Amino acid sequence: MQHLIESVLNQIESVVLGKPRECRLALACLLAKGHLLIEDLPGMGKTTLAHQLAISLGLSYQRTQFTSDLLPSDVIGVSIFNQELKNFELHKGPIFNQVVLADEINRASPKTQSALLEAMAENQVSIDGNTYNLPDPFFVIATQNPLFHSGTYPLPESQLDRFMMRLSLGFPDLKAEKKILQANQELSTNIHTNVLNPEQLLEMQQAVQSITVSSDVIDYVIALCQVSRYQYAMDKKLTQNKAVLSSGLQCNPLSPRAGKALLAAAKAWAYIEDRDYVLPDDVQAVFYEVCQHRLEPQQFQPNQNEVSAAKQILGLVDVLNPLAY
Amino acid sequence: MKIKYPLRKRASKQTIHKPTFCLSKSNAWLLWLSQVLNISMLVFELSNWMIAIVVLCFCLQAVRIHQNMKPDHGISQVNSITWVSFNTISPVLLLMFALVGCIAIALTAKGLGVLISMIHLLCFSYVLKAFELRSRKDFYQVTLLGFFVLASSLIFTQNLYFSVFAFMVLMLNLLVLYQYFSVVKTVPNNLKTILFLLLQSVILAVVLFVFFPRLSPFWQVPLAKSAQTGLSATVQPGDIAKLARSSELAFRVEFTQNTVPSYDKLYWRALVLDNYDGRQWSKSTRNNIWGLALFQKELQRLASLPTSEAIEYRVTVEPSFQQWLFALPVANSFDSSINLTSDYTLKSKKIISQTQSYLVKSYLNENKNRPLTKSEWELNLSYPENSNPRLESLANQLNSQFNTPEEIAKAVLRRFNNLDYFYTLEPPLLINNSLDQFFFDTKAGFCSHYASAFTFLMRAAGVPSRMVTGYMGGEVNRLNAKADSQGHLNIYQYDAHAWSEIWIAGQGWVRFDPTASVDPSRVNQGFSQRLSDQRDYLDNNFFSLQSMKHFAWINNLRLTLDLLDYQWTKLVIGYSAEKQYELIKRWFGQVKSWQYGLIIVGAIILVMMVLFFINAYSPKTNKVQTPKKPWGFLYNKSLKLLAKKGVNKSPDCSANHFVKQVNKEVPAIAKTFARFSHYFVQLSYQQLSKQQQSILFTKMKNEYRKLNQQVNKVSYKR
Repeated sequence: MQHLIESVLNQIESVVLGKPRECRLALACLLAKGHLLIEDLPGMGKTTLAHQLAISLGLSYQRTQFTSDLLPSDVIGVSIFNQELKNFELHKGPIFNQVVLADEINRASPKTQSALLEAMAENQVSIDGNTYNLPDPFFVIATQNPLFHSGTYPLPESQLDRFMMRLSLGFPDLKAEKKILQANQELSTNIHTNVLNPEQLLEMQQAVQSITVSSDVIDYVIALCQVSRYQYAMDKKLTQNKAVLSSGLQCNPLSPRAGKALLAAAKAWAYIEDRDYVLPDDVQAVFYEVCQHRLEPQQFQPNQNEVSAAKQILGLVDVLNPLAY
Repeated sequence: MKIKYPLRKRASKQTIHKPTFCLSKSNAWLLWLSQVLNISMLVFELSNWMIAIVVLCFCLQAVRIHQNMKPDHGISQVNSITWVSFNTISPVLLLMFALVGCIAIALTAKGLGVLISMIHLLCFSYVLKAFELRSRKDFYQVTLLGFFVLASSLIFTQNLYFSVFAFMVLMLNLLVLYQYFSVVKTVPNNLKTILFLLLQSVILAVVLFVFFPRLSPFWQVPLAKSAQTGLSATVQPGDIAKLARSSELAFRVEFTQNTVPSYDKLYWRALVLDNYDGRQWSKSTRNNIWGLALFQKELQRLASLPTSEAIEYRVTVEPSFQQWLFALPVANSFDSSINLTSDYTLKSKKIISQTQSYLVKSYLNENKNRPLTKSEWELNLSYPENSNPRLESLANQLNSQFNTPEEIAKAVLRRFNNLDYFYTLEPPLLINNSLDQFFFDTKAGFCSHYASAFTFLMRAAGVPSRMVTGYMGGEVNRLNAKADSQGHLNIYQYDAHAWSEIWIAGQGWVRFDPTASVDPSRVNQGFSQRLSDQRDYLDNNFFSLQSMKHFAWINNLRLTLDLLDYQWTKLVIGYSAEKQYELIKRWFGQVKSWQYGLIIVGAIILVMMVLFFINAYSPKTNKVQTPKKPWGFLYNKSLKLLAKKGVNKSPDCSANHFVKQVNKEVPAIAKTFARFSHYFVQLSYQQLSKQQQSILFTKMKNEYRKLNQQVNKVSYKR
């Protein structure tokens, strides 16, 4: 399987230039059956990444541009009365694809956002009393503009929590940008074919789940979560010490779902690294992307000087002896 | 006021950019409180201007702490704790202030004496240091200075209550220190921990106190000037009345075997004043070699007397910063720190700067009849001519009327008794200390008036006589009375007294107390009701327990507290090298010095072991959780090994990442460490069977051995 992973990654990286880490994370998110939120400025390659991911994995793909007047039925689908057959016919919305790209999700009204997110959580939708299962694998890639842009409805914490990872692509470096500009013409015409088929992907997802996690790694995940919950003082020894209190840490607590997501992502990362067991390094590798959007307070003003809450938390937990401070 | 604004602005800028030293709000106040209390322990030793500076600094500090609490001054709010920064005063300004203060201390040093000026310096630096807490180091310094300030307060006062209070203040100091490290726990919680720790150290301290050899001090604490209390070296009529208003303790006496003599025999002689200059009585400074020689004989005689006639007692004197000691006549003492003077008084070899105790044997029925030398005879008869003409003529008249000195003396005493002489604490002022005026006109005075007039009369009548000052009586505290002991006597400053001694051929110096004729109750049971009322009225200390003697339970409480204080003084303050030797002898028999050393070491080891077991089995102590698995333990060992060479692993650095770090920092061992670490990672995170585990662990142990050898060859990195 490893060669397949390699070729998938190669293919994606050949399109999303200069961002190998982000590509791997996106793949890891998919392998861990999580949904991905990409937050970045317009034109940074969010859509390209999502599109290429869908193609490489051989999944059906549809993009929906979210606007403020988008209605839930525009996403999920709607039953329309068929005059000829005299019955209601379901017109499936874009959500019935395996990969759904919800572009600029924070431009839509909260109602529409909720409809999408509900579908993400349940893996099924209900239209007019009928329940329809969504395809498997099902993978939502949402993109959003940074919150300070005008005309955005920020996703509440509860809905942010549904996304396993939040990625930010960031500007490419000089080399990559040169390549992008040189190859622009070719790329748009370059047709990639699928490397995997959906069955292989499901197999991989199975394999990821069976990766060994030792109790030390679980302890590490627990300790990370505990430190983020320092305000609730669950484990006093771990969280009410000088190091934690003087770090000036300010964050929302990580939920158990966050802990599960962290572990799943770490497993997927280990799988991509071709290991059948998880190391704390894997947890550290995915921690920022998995947890930062859950940790950030809602009205967060990003400050260049400040260390992110995720990094602070990582610095506060002893990797080798996580539960004994 | 003008400069304040820009200063603060700059400071707040600093706090934003640099991480500065901060204390939590409550701890900042605690630090402030501990500083105030530490200084207040010394407040009586500080001069007024220093107190003013200290108070000013504390007020400023309080205002700053208060202002700092507003959340706009570089303070972060974490977990509802407000952090207070202490670094808000310009260092230049602080330096200037410190320099000015030091110069002021230097200038006044001459008048204050070395000790007091050093304490000024200590307090000054202690108060100022709190304004520049920039780092943890500064905080430690302030705490350490606090301990010094607190300890130096014990130079001046050592009684039980003060010591207990000092102990509490010490606890507060420790609390500040402890609170800094565990901000979140509540104060009572931390106090509990501190008490637990202090209890352990107290046990150790007690053992050291009892067993550690009492070395003579390597340096002498220079003595404070002034501060002399009690009787003074010279007496003018009316002097002792001032003392009579003080209810401070002068000394204590414990009669070890004998019963306490009756009240009217308790004349505690302190000073013999034989030189009269017309105004005041003083001790003659003449060198009296012959007298000393004669006194040596007298001492031999006393030593040869049967001990059954002597009463034995232990006197514990409070620091008076003078040299004279107190004893009943005729006293003999074998204490090495005491000189016996030729006028039958005791004198300490050193100035009594701390509580001192000594054993005395007194022969109450013996006479003080050492023969007088010629010069002594003359001295005890001399008085300035025409200083008190009316008394002189009265003396001549008496001289012609009676034959023996005794009769003359008794006639004078009768006169005191029969005429309307009046015993009072508030005697009218005498012009030029004229005894004539007192004797014939005002007729009101205190013991020193009567003793002066009496002695003068006797001298004028040709009878050698002298003035003696000391204390009369004492209050018995029978609370600790046992079969072999009668409790102890407390002698307060208001028991100060003056009387006369006249020379009678054959009997030597005989005591005459003219006060007894005026107010007999003074020498029978202490102050009469009228006089003690007067005293209470004059006493500033209205609420002292002394003034409420007539309530039985208060009196009982006072006596109990007094007993506690006495035991403290006797057992703790008075625990000298001699007593230590006696104690060891009693417990272990005669010991050689090496055996003694063994005893000390043994005792310390014993205590350490007890403390160790207390700690080891106490459920509350926060032990650092050791890794449960053996490979984790081995890996930690390797980390310690590397830390010794200056390679430190930060907690968030994973094992694999650390391999890279080691590779960069100590390439010599990188390969071995990489293998070692790899086994550790496999053991920790991979799913392995028991057999695989044991194989890998053996390999890991082998690598560790190699690593150990290689690390020792590597020289220290930095």
